[in-house]
Amino acid sequence: MSTTNPIAAHPTLPGHDILVCIFQRGAADGLNALAPYGDPAYASHRPTIRVPDPAPANGVIDVDGFYALHPALDPLKSIYDAGDLALVHATGVPHQIRSHFSAQNLIERGVVDKNDPSTGWLGRHLALSPPASSSSFRAISISGNVPVALSGAVDPLAIDNLNDFGFDQGIIDSGYPQVLADLFDNPLPFSGPAGAALAAMEELQAADLASIVPENGAVYPANSALANKMQQAAQLIKSQLPVEVICVDSDGWDHHESLQFYIDQSLDELAKVMSAFYTDMGASMARITVLVYTEFGRRVAENGSAGTDHGTGSLAYLMGGGVNGGQVISSWPGLAPANLEYGEDLKITTDLRSVISELLNKRLGGTNVGTVFPGFSGVTDVNAFLS
Amino acid sequence: MGQDTSFDLESILARLQNRREFLQLFGKGLGYGALATMLPACGGGSGGGSTSADDLPTTTPLGIKVPKPSAEYSVLKRTSFGVHRDEFASIKALGITDYLEGQLDYTLIDVSALEAEIATQFPLTLQTPAVLMQTFPDNIFEVATQMIAATQYRQMFSGRQLFEIMVEFWSDHFNIHLVNGLGPTLKPFDDQQVIREHALGNFKNLLHASAKSPAMLFYLDNFLSVSGNANENYARELMELHTLGVDGGYTETDIKEVARCFTGWTLRFPDDLSGPYGEFIFASVIHDDQEKTVLGNTIPAGGGQADGEQVLDTLASHPSTATFIATKLCRRFISDTPAQTTVEAVANAFTSSDGDIKETLRALFATSAFVDSVDQKFTRPSEYLAGLVRALAPDTGYPPDMGQTWFYAQNTLGQIPFYWPTPDGYPDEQSYWASTGGLLNRWRLSFLSLDIPSILNLGILDIDYLPMLAGADTLATVVDATVEAVLMRQLLSEHRDSILEWLKGYFNVTEDEVLAPGGPEFAAALIAAVLVSSLYFHLR
Repeated sequence: MSTTNPIAAHPTLPGHDILVCIFQRGAADGLNALAPYGDPAYASHRPTIRVPDPAPANGVIDVDGFYALHPALDPLKSIYDAGDLALVHATGVPHQIRSHFSAQNLIERGVVDKNDPSTGWLGRHLALSPPASSSSFRAISISGNVPVALSGAVDPLAIDNLNDFGFDQGIIDSGYPQVLADLFDNPLPFSGPAGAALAAMEELQAADLASIVPENGAVYPANSALANKMQQAAQLIKSQLPVEVICVDSDGWDHHESLQFYIDQSLDELAKVMSAFYTDMGASMARITVLVYTEFGRRVAENGSAGTDHGTGSLAYLMGGGVNGGQVISSWPGLAPANLEYGEDLKITTDLRSVISELLNKRLGGTNVGTVFPGFSGVTDVNAFLS
Repeated sequence: MGQDTSFDLESILARLQNRREFLQLFGKGLGYGALATMLPACGGGSGGGSTSADDLPTTTPLGIKVPKPSAEYSVLKRTSFGVHRDEFASIKALGITDYLEGQLDYTLIDVSALEAEIATQFPLTLQTPAVLMQTFPDNIFEVATQMIAATQYRQMFSGRQLFEIMVEFWSDHFNIHLVNGLGPTLKPFDDQQVIREHALGNFKNLLHASAKSPAMLFYLDNFLSVSGNANENYARELMELHTLGVDGGYTETDIKEVARCFTGWTLRFPDDLSGPYGEFIFASVIHDDQEKTVLGNTIPAGGGQADGEQVLDTLASHPSTATFIATKLCRRFISDTPAQTTVEAVANAFTSSDGDIKETLRALFATSAFVDSVDQKFTRPSEYLAGLVRALAPDTGYPPDMGQTWFYAQNTLGQIPFYWPTPDGYPDEQSYWASTGGLLNRWRLSFLSLDIPSILNLGILDIDYLPMLAGADTLATVVDATVEAVLMRQLLSEHRDSILEWLKGYFNVTEDEVLAPGGPEFAAALIAAVLVSSLYFHLR
């Protein structure tokens, strides 16, 4: 990291990172992203679809003699080597659910039981501390809807077109926004999101995001929904709007068939976008943490369609200046049949709630783990972040 | 159709391998450049899953203080794609019960002119997989746009409004992403022969048709599922999303067993000389014919295709299915949090009628909750957009730009038909749609600038405000006339005042001054844009 730090003056609370969460929807396979090629059982479970052992010709990147990065993750290697990327393997939340929809719901709520609080882990964390300002931009999802993770925060924004969010100047000058404010006046239904939309519109008009372009030679991949969202995240952070948390989704990880083909596309997009964002933000990464996670991992053994069905443990990515990077964080459970969850899945040996607890404590100004993850009694430090 | 014993295992496996290669050439994500550019971020599946299960965080309904609309208006708002003035007159004349009976008896409502128009304008929507394959993948964009346009067209103009509501309901329930691999060649058949055929028929028949639908077999990967190493994708969603619901009482072992039952349920591919591409076939050589146990019932060895049929029968008549379908119907027609007693009444009708969808709806319409639950939901974009046409330009034709502007609008609002990527379908919870972005995008669509008051007046729709005004010529009378014509429900006086204050500033006149020639129509256009942006129009 360079010593100049343009983000030092960013109006988020002093000492806080800005958190960018990328949710991989569809249950991303971790075993072909960071392949445990040193585990002799890996190859036998996946005779057709496994990532080959690293070799110069095949582009598979050896990490430490045991794990190897999928070739498509090559753009992340230099970030890993710079100490700004850590990979957490055999992780997840032990909710024992294999439905995408229920599991996404539980993991975003940060709970393992459906009777636990219905708000989201991020929403509850944000509710613990007062916002840095009265801005409507404290928490935002760059999408059409508010994700469950943000539920519980005060009027989180959901906007998928930040560069184009607002009215023609003539409409604003006419006083029309006030008519809308009146028509959605509290306590009418939806006065919350309507008020937030009007406030956000005004703030965005002043921030002029469209004038903020990628820096440091960063090139976001074309025709990528994830790139579009992460580029907006970068603009938003640079705009100095006091954003604390940004959520984006990465879709299409449910690879029941032809996993090799599809995961190559998915990982390629993810790695190129993360790398472009890292380059674009430059020294500001000192105060940005990117968390990439999914609802559960995939079955260890391949199915008859050269894909994998739903499983348990998976892989999480942590990127930023505050990450204790250049390491794979894992207590590897092993893939021999006796070591598998339910006899067929990668066991969770590092609870994702441990990782996130540490993240919130060390990088987001501290939290109350009992509130954010009710009922969780695991460790709250896995040496994933710098203090 | 039917059992195909001409295959040997080796050739089937080879064909599956070819299939993968074929898909890798033309498959998911490829060949779709044009559409991807056109549809940058629709739906996105973003968190869709996370909002669709029953274990959602529930939203507490806020105190509503806007005046209640009439009972007839409220029924139309929930059983049609927006209140059309002719239907408003009709339901007032017939009474609610007879109106709904007429809608249930949908085959008596003449739509021949509409369907003839669709056959002319959107012919690919009526084609078979074999015909669509002839020009695939070059036809992807054309198939997708025609499917979307035909759906919008029917939502806007069909007299069979309740039927179209149920078509949308089942299209979400048995969701298939159209632009997905071979989907463009298969989904039109599914739309015609599965969803539209059974939308107001019997659930068991609908379920069986869906299970054999080539589009579904493809979308949820069952076409690749082989004995010994079954693909669980369809089996899981069949129980979680199509029948029992996630808490319906099945186990992970049941999923594996159901997957075994459906091995060999596949479709004919283009290289198959034994019959037309895209037909359902049961390939016995890749079927797992050993004994299975599903939900405690033994399925004896040697059943062949009957294994899957038996599973479907069991699931269709399972009590959890009745409750699950009833809950979703109540969420659609009543509120996001229907009372248990209401759900039970609807589930009982489902069970006692053996899955008759009309009988189930009759029971739902007869509940006091249906009558009482006014303004409990936020319209989804499809209702909002079709509702604009139905309220403002009920006699207009389909937009002369062949719906491109509507296409853009539906994309912006995130609900393009057949474009939700995950198998749970577009969410029906209002909290999903009433986000900051969702609201602002609706406001913007109805009000691009003051010079061009709204999307409604871009030449896309021919809106004639003069008849609505009935001679009104001051701001006060124009507001009242426009509310009457467009909203068809009463406005709070403070909201009327707010609109009037704004107009007075804009026109620089008092509310009782007679406007200059042309002024009333222009004011009416502005007012209409405000009204369709307001809560009154979004609630149902």
